Amino acid sequence: MTFFEVKNLTFGYASGNGSVIRDFSLQMEQGEVVGLLGNSGCGKSTLLRLIAGLESPKSGRIQIDGKVLVDQGQFVEPEQRGIGMIFQDYALFPHLTVEQNILFGLHRLSIAERLVRLKEMLALVQLEGYGKRYPHELSGGQQQRVAFARALAPRPAILLMDEPFSNLDAELKTKIRDDLKRMLRAAKMTSILVTHDKADAETICNRIIRMTR
Amino acid sequence: MTGALLRRSLRRKLNGWVTLSVVGAFLALLPSLYIFFGLFQKQNENWQHIQEYMLLDYALQSLWLVLGTGACTIIVGVTLAWLVAAYDFPLRRFFSFAFVLPLAIPPYIAAYTYGSMLSYTGSIQTILRDTFGLTLDQRYFDIMSMKGAIFIFTLFLFPYVYLITKTFLEKQSAVFIENARLLGKNQTHIFFRIVLPMSQAAIVGGASLVAFEVLNDFGVTKHFGIQSFTAAIFKTWFGMYDVESAIRLSAWLMTLIIGIFIVERLVRKRKKYSSPTNRSTPLTRRKLRGIPMYATVIFGLVIVSFSFVIPVVQLSVWATWTYGEVLNETFWKLLSNTLFISSISITILMLLAVIVANVIRFSRGSIFAVALTRLISMGYSIPGAVLSIGVMAVVMSVDKELSSFYSWLGLGANKLVLSMSLFMLTFAYIIRFLAVGFNAVEAGFEKTGNRYSEAARMLGMSMTRTFFKVDLPLIRGAVLTGFILVFMEIVKELPLTLLLRPYNFETLATKAYQYASDEQIHQAAIPSLCIIAVGIVSVIFYHWLGERKAK
Ligand SMILES: Nc1ncnc2c1ncn2[C@@H]1O[C@H](COP(=O)(O)OP(=O)(O)OP(=O)(O)O)[C@@H](O)[C@H]1O
Ligand SMILES: [Mg+2]
Repeated sequence: MTFFEVKNLTFGYASGNGSVIRDFSLQMEQGEVVGLLGNSGCGKSTLLRLIAGLESPKSGRIQIDGKVLVDQGQFVEPEQRGIGMIFQDYALFPHLTVEQNILFGLHRLSIAERLVRLKEMLALVQLEGYGKRYPHELSGGQQQRVAFARALAPRPAILLMDEPFSNLDAELKTKIRDDLKRMLRAAKMTSILVTHDKADAETICNRIIRMTR
Repeated sequence: MTGALLRRSLRRKLNGWVTLSVVGAFLALLPSLYIFFGLFQKQNENWQHIQEYMLLDYALQSLWLVLGTGACTIIVGVTLAWLVAAYDFPLRRFFSFAFVLPLAIPPYIAAYTYGSMLSYTGSIQTILRDTFGLTLDQRYFDIMSMKGAIFIFTLFLFPYVYLITKTFLEKQSAVFIENARLLGKNQTHIFFRIVLPMSQAAIVGGASLVAFEVLNDFGVTKHFGIQSFTAAIFKTWFGMYDVESAIRLSAWLMTLIIGIFIVERLVRKRKKYSSPTNRSTPLTRRKLRGIPMYATVIFGLVIVSFSFVIPVVQLSVWATWTYGEVLNETFWKLLSNTLFISSISITILMLLAVIVANVIRFSRGSIFAVALTRLISMGYSIPGAVLSIGVMAVVMSVDKELSSFYSWLGLGANKLVLSMSLFMLTFAYIIRFLAVGFNAVEAGFEKTGNRYSEAARMLGMSMTRTFFKVDLPLIRGAVLTGFILVFMEIVKELPLTLLLRPYNFETLATKAYQYASDEQIHQAAIPSLCIIAVGIVSVIFYHWLGERKAK
């Protein structure tokens, strides 16, 4: 059964000329991890932004679990979509501690539930004891894991990752890659991973898609 | 766009933030609209007279003032910027800051300070007579003239050109200048053939700020008796009680301003050079030695003395003569009035600035964002007298519309409630200085970028909650900068305050002006020094922020 569907998506930036994404379609099962590969500038980040609701498409439809996120007549705001995203540079809030960063998306839970979830997440990413630190007091790999915990904490329906390894050195990357695979499987997360590295995609993903312009 | 798509995007975009911004922009535009409608009213007799005998004169006087000041500020500002950016000499770091300090002294204060110092009984001639026994021809001391006004404006406005040009040279020009050096060009050649043409856009940007300040001025031209446009607007408004003609004059002045604007745009559009790499290497400075070094240091010291030290020392001396007489109940009232009106205006202004900047950053590059930015920033280029008359016209007509409401409230018929209150002045301050606050906030948003807000929205926070939990803590510094810069502007603003304040409402600026125009120049020293102190604090703060950014 299709859980997530993108159909005939077309989009161009207001300031650029022409379409960046043309008639793109994709279907995913629940729990599937799809790798998205493609040349620089072919629109991978743009596609993730469209799914997230940070840009709005010219035409086409995005649908998750039977619910329309965007089509000709409707647009669900990003905060209502229930989609998690890990940014290339993590975008951890510099003025908040690790705990506060992870708690940030849990405002819909009761306070007791929040704390339980926080503990779970810190355990999942193996960062117990780092809760009171600020992002700039963490290593690159630790920051990456906090970003992961923060995105997963609100239990998103789908997780989008835009080159999450690009700021890590090669050795750390292999370790984190395995961690990520473990964590995604543990959480049974439906996810899309954008990467430049074929090996990354092959390790983590069930299926690989090549994007062309 | 199809209908459904349009409706979708309208529904999405029309939230409270956007609505507030659009309303704010419209309110900012309203006074200018009133002035332009004034052009289509029937002309009265007085206007025929003004047009026939005076209009050309006003226009020429204003034009000379702008061109003269423009040329002189460019010469002084660019020279100093080049010296500070490209050479190393003793006291360079001190000068780099001290050349900005004149901005803390409003030209009208400088004008009456120099005017009085150079008079027959002023300190300079007295010293010359008593100490050296010299009595010189009065012509040498005639500052109350067009030349004198240009001298004053140049000394106290050149920092605009200096700052913008210096920043450009330090950040953008290194690649080109180093290449020219490698190609064996000497310093003079580099300055005239590379530096000047390259910094054209920056220079024009600074010079047009100077032009707007000159056209805004009322104090200097009034004190020196120059018939500028602004002085003429005052005269027709208060001397002849002919508001219609004053509006018409204002419309003409606006045309002049729009002309300057277009010239600036045209020059800037085609001449916008920046280095091809994003990585901007700072310019390595050459060490000056021997005579050029001494000449540079002396030149710098002369500029700093004339444009800051001398007037401040003179005012301080006068302050010691008059503090007993000036520092009384009325003075504290002045101070509290000034603080009161500025804090109300700044609070509303910064709220609006933050709202608009927050809307614009998510649609940067779109026509909507460009139009909104233009409207919001427009007030800064409208001269105070023109803006006053526009605001006055708007508020009076609102009062007229509301008159039946007033009489229903039991206030009596034909009552001018808004026009007699501080509302009018607050409204005008906000329009005029919105650009200052907005630019500060926008710089803050540009520095943090959109990714934190996007991350917050992905985590389920609405735009408003994101703003309070993420954006505001991250741009706190920028908002504070905006507060301080706007505070300085409001405290020293003269024409708006003079024209729109309620009866008997005095601020530091209006009182200083009043003393000066009543020939009580020594009494003006203390309020003037207060204004200068606020200016110095904000200049220091601004400089410190720039230094921190550079690190
Ligand atoms: N804000 C923007 N405004 C205008 N054009 C943009 C904008 N962002 C991206 N583009 C253009 O859209 C195209 C796709 O960009 P996108 O960032 O999606 O590429 P990408 O596949 O993620 O590339 P990379 O692998 O280098 O990250 C590029 O040609 C880019 O120049
Ligand atoms: Mg990308």
